[in-house]
Amino acid sequence: MDKMIPVDRLARPEDHVLVPAERLRHARMEQGMSALGAMPYEDDFLKARMHGICAGEYQAMEAAGRTLFDFPDAPWEFQLDMARQVWDESRHAEIYTKLLEYAGSFYGEFPESEVLWSCTQAADPAARVAGINRGLEGLACDVFEQLIRLAQVMGDKVIERSIDYVLADEITHVRMGSKWMRKLCEGDPERLQRAQEFQDSIDTLFSFGGNRPRQEDVAQVKQKMNGLEFEFDARVTIAREARLQAGFTEEEIERLVKGMAKSVAY
Amino acid sequence: MPDLGDRGNVNGPQPIGKVIEPPAEMFNAAARFMQALINGDTLAALAMTHEQARDQVAAIADSIKAGAYNKTEFFGKARVVKHYFVKARLIGAGPTPAVVQIRMGVEDDGAWKVREAVNLTGVKSGWTK
Repeated sequence: MDKMIPVDRLARPEDHVLVPAERLRHARMEQGMSALGAMPYEDDFLKARMHGICAGEYQAMEAAGRTLFDFPDAPWEFQLDMARQVWDESRHAEIYTKLLEYAGSFYGEFPESEVLWSCTQAADPAARVAGINRGLEGLACDVFEQLIRLAQVMGDKVIERSIDYVLADEITHVRMGSKWMRKLCEGDPERLQRAQEFQDSIDTLFSFGGNRPRQEDVAQVKQKMNGLEFEFDARVTIAREARLQAGFTEEEIERLVKGMAKSVAY
Repeated sequence: MPDLGDRGNVNGPQPIGKVIEPPAEMFNAAARFMQALINGDTLAALAMTHEQARDQVAAIADSIKAGAYNKTEFFGKARVVKHYFVKARLIGAGPTPAVVQIRMGVEDDGAWKVREAVNLTGVKSGWTK
């Protein structure tokens, strides 16, 4: 069995549409929309954002499973943590699949891209957990925190509580990543640096060209959702509190905010 | 997707939004496009193609042998705002159907046109075999 597998070998129903992220960006730009994915001011934001997360949960489940398989010589406790993460992500995938139905959507309504899976393809377990657990799960903290606030504004307890439940796990996954990145790199500063660089590359990829500010700095715009009219963030924001709980330092969070403007991803 | 359980224990009306169904005109246009490929009528297929996808469609039309297929079966769709990705099988007497994925977008004049096209025959997606 190959250790590094391409994204389209992930098991998906044949009616699902798998499309390279670049083509999704083109499809959006041709319609005059931001290339960065559904923005909070779009009619479809809730469905599209939850769909992206749902696909991400499936890919995160698959990624943790691959990590478990790819590194059989890693410490037993590491393997136990990865197995636990597979189980967590599978519950998250179920939760988001149900939330999509709740919102009047379904898994497969939108195309799925490779962008998250491609971030998992590191040959070193230390880089793998740095990228997935600290990079991607850190991003999940940002996105989930914003959706929870959106649900609060909408007065929707189902979405608010469901995502809060998932966010609690993601915080644990980030901590897990920090622990194993340091432990696996003990006495090997070069390996630690490579792992951190892999995480940096993922943070840069998702920095959205300087479009991810602090919550207090983001512009509020009028929105309409499910018959409600309210003001909400114009962009995805950094979830400072959740990231602090997850073990990110103030310096790391600040670096993420400042680093946003340097992104070359888009 | 499998049934994920009883929703009766969740408070409030649900679902809170409606599933958006693709416009029938989009599927009609996609069906006409696929029929043009089946007929080997490249000009008709290109007439339904946006400028940016002409080379892709021409290559697919070249690869499809006229008379090899007689039926279109749509088996997948996904939406990006108001554009639709559609997956179709072209079925004929032979054992292997051709598989084509297109993205349809509506133009200013209301006509649906193909804005990108990928030949998925023998492959799972646009990435690898």
